[in-house]
Amino acid sequence: MVDDEQLGPDAFPELESDEDGELEDLSGEEEGLPPDPDSGESAGPADEELVHKAQQGDVHAFDLLVERYHGRIYALTYNMTSNREDAEDLTQEVFVKAFEALPRFKGKSSFYTWIYRIAVNKTINYRKKRNRKRALSLDAFDHDIKTDPAYHDLTSKGSPLRNMSLSELQVKLNEALQHLSEKHRTVVVLHDMQGIPHEEIAKMVKTSVGTVRSRLFYARRQMQAELSEFMK
Amino acid sequence: MTDGIDSASGMTGMVGQLMHLKRYERPDGARMVRNRQNIMREVRELQRNRRKSLGDLLELNMPWFFAEPRYGIAALFVAFAALQYVGINARHSARSQTGIYTNPGTLTAYDRTTAPAYTSTNTISYPNLPGNVPLFQDNRFGRGDDVQFVGRIEAGQ
Repeated sequence: MVDDEQLGPDAFPELESDEDGELEDLSGEEEGLPPDPDSGESAGPADEELVHKAQQGDVHAFDLLVERYHGRIYALTYNMTSNREDAEDLTQEVFVKAFEALPRFKGKSSFYTWIYRIAVNKTINYRKKRNRKRALSLDAFDHDIKTDPAYHDLTSKGSPLRNMSLSELQVKLNEALQHLSEKHRTVVVLHDMQGIPHEEIAKMVKTSVGTVRSRLFYARRQMQAELSEFMK
Repeated sequence: MTDGIDSASGMTGMVGQLMHLKRYERPDGARMVRNRQNIMREVRELQRNRRKSLGDLLELNMPWFFAEPRYGIAALFVAFAALQYVGINARHSARSQTGIYTNPGTLTAYDRTTAPAYTSTNTISYPNLPGNVPLFQDNRFGRGDDVQFVGRIEAGQ
């Protein structure tokens, strides 16, 4: 395993230099991303067709792409910022930027991977420019959470978290997430929340799979330390 | 040590479960609809203001050129060479009616038969003046046409 701490503070140079990340398609085989249950991704025309039409100036085709990927991009920016107003602004910026850069999109990677990369880079740069802590502004939990086995485990009698309310748990979790560095939070959000495979994350952040795994390990360990007082 | 690792992995598992629960955070539907509408409105505005540059037009109409630039450059070179070849042939076979290629016989302003003879060039015509005779024929005192005082010349001598 690559020791992440050896990478130094500038372990994400690619995200600083390539500000919006929209100019370069990711080469290589597409590994496929997990389907988004909230989007009608499988229905309708293929992304390639919509992208081609949008490149010809068909804004309706781009509307379909927005409908299809809006939820995922919002979820990414929201989990990266833990602030829904910022996430909304960022989501809008990401899609507008994608539309502007669409003529330069060559289709070497999927549209989704391409726009995801824009979203990651834009979010990181957005936070750097602001350079100050933002108050948490969180979305409410869905009621379905109570049917999830993980929820039952965490609130069962044997769990150290059994005495915490759901909202307390949510705040602590988001605070711990925001205390992570950009590079660690990025991999945690991409992998643990978005369900993207290590290989795909490695391509998105232009690093090796080993480094992604290492960052994930250290990020989880740091979150564990942050949340330890509630886990006793 | 082993206990520590087990404990750590257990805690990490709990963190993983917590992260998993974050997937249940759902954005407000109305806000999401408004956000999508804002995106679409901005995209339309961009599209209205978009002026297609020459590069964009080329890229849209000749995607093969930009997909593989080396082939595009090779195609440009071949086209340039072909144009040069055609141009050279065209110059050789051209019979221009103007400029230095003009055949003077075809010009109506030029009539060889009525052209005046005195227009011939590189000839000097001296005037034929009467009484232009040298004063001295003898070259003993230098050139005969030099004017020198040699005394009074009486008329009739």
